Amino acid sequence: MAASSLGRRTAMLFGIVKTFSLQRPVLPIISRCGSLFQIATYNPKPLRLNIKDPYIPNKEKEDTPHWQKTDKFDRKLFGRYGSISGVDPVKLWPSPEKLEKLIAEEQEWQPTLEVMLQNIAAKEMEREKKVKAREKLIATNMAKMPKMIEDWRRETRALKMKKREEKARKERLVAEARERFGYALDPRSPKFQEMVQEIEKEEKKKKKLLKSRMKQGDTAPAAPRT
Amino acid sequence: MSASKTTGGKAIDILRNLPRISLANLRPNPGARKTERRRGRGAHGGNKSGRGHKGERQRGNRPRLGFEGGQTPFYLAIPKYGYNEGHSLRPQYQPLSLRRLQYLIDLGRVDTSQPIDLTQLVNGRGVTVQPLKRDYGVHLVEEGADIFSAKINIEVQRATEGAVAAIERNGGVITTGFYDFRSLTILCKPVPFFLSGQPIPKRMLPGEDMVRYYTGAENRGYLSDPEEVERARQELAQKYGYVLPDISKDELFHMLSIRKDCRQIFFGLAPGWVVNMAERKILKPTDEKLLRYYGS
Repeated sequence: MAASSLGRRTAMLFGIVKTFSLQRPVLPIISRCGSLFQIATYNPKPLRLNIKDPYIPNKEKEDTPHWQKTDKFDRKLFGRYGSISGVDPVKLWPSPEKLEKLIAEEQEWQPTLEVMLQNIAAKEMEREKKVKAREKLIATNMAKMPKMIEDWRRETRALKMKKREEKARKERLVAEARERFGYALDPRSPKFQEMVQEIEKEEKKKKKLLKSRMKQGDTAPAAPRT
Repeated sequence: MSASKTTGGKAIDILRNLPRISLANLRPNPGARKTERRRGRGAHGGNKSGRGHKGERQRGNRPRLGFEGGQTPFYLAIPKYGYNEGHSLRPQYQPLSLRRLQYLIDLGRVDTSQPIDLTQLVNGRGVTVQPLKRDYGVHLVEEGADIFSAKINIEVQRATEGAVAAIERNGGVITTGFYDFRSLTILCKPVPFFLSGQPIPKRMLPGEDMVRYYTGAENRGYLSDPEEVERARQELAQKYGYVLPDISKDELFHMLSIRKDCRQIFFGLAPGWVVNMAERKILKPTDEKLLRYYGS
């Protein structure tokens, strides 16, 4: 076998050299490749086929293992020994029932390219829709943003002012208490609380007075006009 | 010393008569091997043989790596994150660099006068593809693109843009094609399949996640439109700044224009045919139903 393949290889080599030498001289080929143009063909392992003395199981015999009576084994026999295996070549292909099963299976599990492309397009559409909806939401929210920031700033500013006023008021009260009693009073003490209530009452009175006076002031100048 | 008639002297005579070098008459060089130290022999018998006093150290039954004496070890204490989720199912592609491909071509291990597909690459021992290890084929990468200078018609499973450009710059053609597990097994090892006596199956279409890649002209996918591929070739030539050689005027035009059908596994063999190695015959089905099934 080795000799024959070697012969084939050399023949091929010569064939190539000949075809090349017909077109142009050999020299350029040699200079181009550094040596002769040669193709190392695939050197397969020898096939141990044992064609001379094949083992063909007798299907009628009971001793024959059951797996040697299957169609799969028949196909294997044919693949190994060819027609001397005595296997009908028709059995190599799936039987009509098997073929129907195969077709049904293919229809169920293997979508065609068009279907797959459609599915992909639908999925892509859905994804894009989602992205667009999200982008839209972001855009509307971003449009609201300046107003929200302005509101927040105003709120914080108001809060700060309120706090500051509160603090100032407390300080004022403490100072007043000191003035009244002559010593620093604890703002939590009942004495201080009383004082605070008193002051508040006074303030309320003052406010009322101011209001009534304002009303009077309003009505007084209004009377001569009518 | 007797005079020898040959020019090499006595040495060449001896060399001729000696048997061939084989595993049977090879042995390590003198001094290359060192005898193993035998602990606990001679004056040191009954001692601890240099292994210390008691415990796992002396007895050599250390616990597994990462074990922290019963406390929950660090590698189990930290939470897992999904970076490697599904890693055991992810498709793998064996890398094939243009440098390696050029090397194979230069040594004549791959024949450039024929279309190259996975069978040629595996037979030339260029790549090892193991479908059972989730290999989906080869990925042509651009390493060695600067030295690549062969005109080939190659079919791979994935290719980088640079590799596509390098092949087309030299006037070659590249296609990316998908092979399902069974087709890939058959394509890598045809002979065991032919010996099984089965008809060549249809190549299955890629799954939905891969359809995008193989219908893309920029990837030279086998499901893409040929006109679009031609346009993509021109675009790539402009991008990489080379003049695209006109294939239609090439002397190898016939070889370069060979493509597989999207259902075909081997060049020149249609699905449904049976190849018999013993008789060197091809058997083709004639039944109409079979033909329709294998032809669709």
